[in-house]
Amino acid sequence: MLDHCSISHKGGVVLWSRSFTPAASHAAASPSSPVNSLVREALIEGRSSDGKYEKDGYAVKWTFVNDLELIFVVAYQRILQLTYVEDLLTALKALFVKLFQPFLTTFVASLHVTSTAKLSSSADTSASWDFSKAFDGWDAVFDKLLRGLEDKAAQERRTRSGHVIRTAAEVSPPAEDISTIPTQSDDNVLDEERIARNVQALKNRLRGRGAQPVRRGRGRADVASGRDSHPGSDSDTTPSKSKRKSKAKVQRKWGDEAPTESDMASLDFSYDSSTSDTHAHAPPVDLSALVDSGSLGTRTQDGLYEVRDWEFSQGGKSADDVIAEVLKKSGQEPKPASGSLGALGSIFARLTGTKVLTEEDLKPVLEAMKQHLMKKNVAKEISDKICEDVGQSLVGKKVGGFQTTSSAVRQALANSITRILTPKTSTDLLLSIRTKLSKPLPASQQRQPYSITFVGVNGVGKSTNLSKVCFWLIQNGFRVLIAACDTFRSGAVEQLRVHVRNLGMLGVDGATDSKGRVELYERGYGKDAAGIAKEAINYARENDFDVVLIDTAGRMQDNEPLMRALAKLVATNNPDKIIFVGEALVGNEAVDQLTKFDRALRDFSAASGGQERGIDGMLVTKWDTVDDKVGAALSMTYVTGQPIIFVGCGQTYTDLRQLRVANVVQAILSD
Amino acid sequence: MDAFAASPSKQAEPEVLSPASVLGSQMLPLAAVVLAVLMVAISILVVRRKSPRRGDAVILAGYSDAGKTAILTTLAYRQTLPTHASMQTNASLVALSSSHKTLRIIDVPGHPRIRGQFQEYLPEAKAIAFVVDASTVSRNGAAVAEHLHMIMHALTSLPPSRETPSLLIVAHKCDLLKGTANASAEQLAINRVRTILERELEKRRVSHAHGVAVEGLGAEDAESEMGGLECSGNGEFKFAEWEGGEVGFIGTSVAVGKVARVVDEKHAESDGLSPLREWLEELN
Repeated sequence: MLDHCSISHKGGVVLWSRSFTPAASHAAASPSSPVNSLVREALIEGRSSDGKYEKDGYAVKWTFVNDLELIFVVAYQRILQLTYVEDLLTALKALFVKLFQPFLTTFVASLHVTSTAKLSSSADTSASWDFSKAFDGWDAVFDKLLRGLEDKAAQERRTRSGHVIRTAAEVSPPAEDISTIPTQSDDNVLDEERIARNVQALKNRLRGRGAQPVRRGRGRADVASGRDSHPGSDSDTTPSKSKRKSKAKVQRKWGDEAPTESDMASLDFSYDSSTSDTHAHAPPVDLSALVDSGSLGTRTQDGLYEVRDWEFSQGGKSADDVIAEVLKKSGQEPKPASGSLGALGSIFARLTGTKVLTEEDLKPVLEAMKQHLMKKNVAKEISDKICEDVGQSLVGKKVGGFQTTSSAVRQALANSITRILTPKTSTDLLLSIRTKLSKPLPASQQRQPYSITFVGVNGVGKSTNLSKVCFWLIQNGFRVLIAACDTFRSGAVEQLRVHVRNLGMLGVDGATDSKGRVELYERGYGKDAAGIAKEAINYARENDFDVVLIDTAGRMQDNEPLMRALAKLVATNNPDKIIFVGEALVGNEAVDQLTKFDRALRDFSAASGGQERGIDGMLVTKWDTVDDKVGAALSMTYVTGQPIIFVGCGQTYTDLRQLRVANVVQAILSD
Repeated sequence: MDAFAASPSKQAEPEVLSPASVLGSQMLPLAAVVLAVLMVAISILVVRRKSPRRGDAVILAGYSDAGKTAILTTLAYRQTLPTHASMQTNASLVALSSSHKTLRIIDVPGHPRIRGQFQEYLPEAKAIAFVVDASTVSRNGAAVAEHLHMIMHALTSLPPSRETPSLLIVAHKCDLLKGTANASAEQLAINRVRTILERELEKRRVSHAHGVAVEGLGAEDAESEMGGLECSGNGEFKFAEWEGGEVGFIGTSVAVGKVARVVDEKHAESDGLSPLREWLEELN
């Protein structure tokens, strides 16, 4: 019941693959194959740590072998629930590596040639690459493995359903809901005798409840519906349900009497300080994590404790020192080093280039890295996921030379953060605007302006940054129309009017009669924002404006009616870019805001008939308030996968910057 | 020290003879000079070996799904293996049949998030082959042009002490285009790729030349301007007039799953990749 299975190298070469259906083999050969989509969208993006990926009706599961740089992928139909896929992957991994280890090592070495000096040794081996012969017996092994696992799974399913039939038939006392009986018959072929037995049991029970005609009617309806409509009923829960119902009924306590002695013990939630085993109950609190001994204040002569003064420009401790400190604190109990020679052995192993990273090695380092990221204002879930990803990609890898585990982890983390922050679509707004404006149109149509919508929660700086973007567009000679679709907040329209007045005076290089021009389109307060936006775009089209900037009201991500209203605005006007404005100060809240905004926009805009639109880019504001704790940028790009187009770092019109990935990575990883 | 020198006769003789006293006071400066010269000579040799003025590898770059890894496997293993999107670079040795040289070919991934790895291998490059999928370039021309712009910018911003690597644009997957009576499939592919790329790059050049860009973050003035598209003539972008050097064009194709026929050393292999092989052999 699998559709496709493949073993490939991280560099892109597929070593072995098998498709089980013609549709799957056709899809596997095209660029939109499940493996290709998996690598392109999940693995490279680095947002895959929940272990599953679904595309086009296929569910895809995978695993890595990091020292040989192999990826094992299995794809099957999403509606099936196959339990043996994880076992299949682990077994495949172990078997493949064991059977073909020497060939694989030479193959991987041939893809990592570092200089042309080594030509003589490999020149003769280059003639002997025959991949089909190399994996000769593998097909047979794979077939056997798959058949074994499928048989085991089928057997398990059969025994489970056998249990259901047996226990359901034993239920003779009146069960609360009659529908447990018919579910036994949804399994396979209905036995004639079984049907007769069921009908007899039902009649007996219903006769016993003759005084309740309503019940009977409902019972019959239940029976009718129960027999054919329990596709999702988990056969696991029915035996437990029937077992529970067979116990004797216990009288319900209504709480109007005083509790008995036996109840007192279970109701006592107070801490009992007189018992001797409180130390075992109280959770061990790590006091050193609560207080940073380097920042303790001073005691005056009177015995008062004074807080220490704030010092700018803290001295530079390197990240390695920080990690060492945290490791020292957390590793107070000396852990025995791996290998028989202990610490000396691991040093020798590292120098000779054979030290393999294990999970125990990585765990403390990753924990330290996670704390460091969180100190830099990266959201907790995101730090967790990133460190997990890095751990997964490093387990089993050989680290050699003088590289310590923490520096290997640091390198991998820097790569991962760079990969997450690098945009995958072009962030060149000017180019997109010019491309759209210069697209040739049929003669009857007028040119549509390029529209940008700014969305976000309350108070992040949408209107301020909209005017900064407007200033930049005017400098580039575009004619801009600002649509005041914030019809809720008092003073929103006046605020935009002030901005438009200022921008009108600035122009290109200060000239007032330049080609760039800005105008405000507003219809007052209390009107429908989607309607105003539509009218604004029509007005812009009639009067030959190039860009329309739509300012919306701030709204909380949980507020469903407002999110629907926003999605309606997006669906009716179909703006070219939807920019989410978020502030750099936000911490864990960023994850929540972005997930809910993105999902609400996608769901509601698809529902109201348009195409599905999500957030296209982000604008991070108030960057000047965080000096190097810029983790919010990382959280935001991780959640949406979209790039950060601009960064706002001040309150004047020129305080708009582009994000530099290298700077942000350095700021996050520095100390 | 003074006290020691002042009373030499009273103190006992030091038991350990210092090396300076063994060599004698005149030999010491001479020995120091010889040692210094030796160390300078060694360091010069080491530095010279480490940084050649010219690289020796060929980089295969290009957008996602262009076929770079398939070309690499055909050249290195003489069989075209099925491939998927690469997550990391592959570097392997390729033996050229007629000139009996081996060449190192580096296949850099094309996915936008990891294509920055190209910068790490640029110092070792003596030529760059930019692979374009000729059958889909009309659809994703803008993205391919952005990638090519990045490479051309990197080429033009190399320091002048290094020789600029030569650039070749490979119009790949020609077998998906149908040739006409006048032009073969390769010619068609080359023309199509050339016109589309020139058009997109011209749009980019105009946008960057006339636009006022937003500055990048950070106090240091790392240039955020993406230049690299300057042309002689009337300024409009044409590959023939590009100031960064000569740009070659070839058309190639590979068939996935095909194993090359067993060929002896004398006859050159004539499959869809032969234009690329000829170009590789012409590189000095």
